[in-house]
Amino acid sequence: MIDPRVELLLALADDDLIIGHRHSHWTGVAPHIEEDLAFSSISQDEIGHAVLWYRLAAEVAGEQGVRDLATRAPAGGDLSDSLGLGREPSGYRNAILVERPNRDWGYSLARHYLYDVAEGVRLTTLADSSWRALADATGALRREERYHLLHARAWLDRLANGPIDARTHLAGGLVAAMAEAPGLFEPLPGDAELAADGVLPADFATQQRRWLDIITADLEAVGMDHVLGGDPHHGEGEFLATASGELVAHDDTAAASGSRDGGLGGGGLGGRNGRHSSDFIEVWEEMTGTYRAYPGVRW
Amino acid sequence: MVTALTGVTSDDVRAVLDTVPDPEMPPVSVAELGMVVDVRVNTDRVEVDLVPTYSGCPATAVIREETARAVKAMEGVGSVEVRFVNTVVWEPERITAPGRRKLAEFGIAPPGSGQTLLQIGRRPGLGADGMGEGVVCPLCGSHDTVADSPFGPTPCRSSSYCNACRNPFEVIKP
Repeated sequence: MIDPRVELLLALADDDLIIGHRHSHWTGVAPHIEEDLAFSSISQDEIGHAVLWYRLAAEVAGEQGVRDLATRAPAGGDLSDSLGLGREPSGYRNAILVERPNRDWGYSLARHYLYDVAEGVRLTTLADSSWRALADATGALRREERYHLLHARAWLDRLANGPIDARTHLAGGLVAAMAEAPGLFEPLPGDAELAADGVLPADFATQQRRWLDIITADLEAVGMDHVLGGDPHHGEGEFLATASGELVAHDDTAAASGSRDGGLGGGGLGGRNGRHSSDFIEVWEEMTGTYRAYPGVRW
Repeated sequence: MVTALTGVTSDDVRAVLDTVPDPEMPPVSVAELGMVVDVRVNTDRVEVDLVPTYSGCPATAVIREETARAVKAMEGVGSVEVRFVNTVVWEPERITAPGRRKLAEFGIAPPGSGQTLLQIGRRPGLGADGMGEGVVCPLCGSHDTVADSPFGPTPCRSSSYCNACRNPFEVIKP
């Protein structure tokens, strides 16, 4: 069995690594140069945060523990690289939401916003962890994440108050991303033990409620809260899922997120247990290509 | 020589760290940027704790190597260990006064940019508060600047624009 602390760190790290990789797909092709810079910078931050979590996970797991997790962990190689790039797809713990392609600008920004609010809640929670090394690591990350939220909220405001086309794209993006956002709060194997030890000061259901409170207030402020019921058109259209995850999601959330893979459960769940969509395979192949060709390669 | 008898001190090491350039802003040293958290010397063994400006900073590996190389070159030093810690959070306020002056001369607005410009003899236009506070253009000293983006060419810098001299410039992220 994997140490529950390692499970937690891998979930944190994999979310950051994969969203960072998806954000980097805007590098060079964003609508204008400031956004090119913004998404590239955010991507760099997120991947940097992933490295920090992988290092801590490698310290906890030890060399043998890393080898048990990663099929490619060459002797003398960097253990955090092996964790980040040397695992098989089923070994990754990221939420399905973060592995989806960027689709359009509306979806990208909606996901960026929902994810960074969730990350803020997560880091604020972990700042009170009884595990000192984990609590310490949140300090710098929370400082850096402020800029991500600043960026996401600025765009939420801009698109929500923009022309109808902007609102439509944002609403569509929010509905699709909200449908899979519960996956960010999916329970982890062994999280009861972490809660009992005070490593995890608030369970994921509590974090999800905190997250939803923030999202609801923000969306009400910009007059977009109708998307919380899964309705992009304000009174028209088909119900999909509530963001709280309390209601069973529409039978094909994957359709909402533009995926080819409809075989997963509702609410974007499964990622924390290593179940992923075909979108993940695509991003995994691209991301790990060099490392698989040259295991242990140094950057 | 007396120093050879008493060995290296942490002050000696800190003096050397004041000469190790930041790879992305070479006029400024890692010490001036406020990255040095602790220096421990045990006879000929030296340990240096650094804090990265931003955890995603790609320059950390180079900074670690350059720091270790510079300290290793000191007379009387046997072994060096440089590590990055996260027990403190880096903030721009950690940048020293000489560091701020060099950043301003390099064209990057440091924290307290107005005061810094005064110190290097470039009078900033006094802002609305009359105190030279806020982000002042390091190129012309004007207060008439606007934040362009919270992001810039490196994780620790943001982008601003000067309405007076019509130049974009970089700011150490607050």
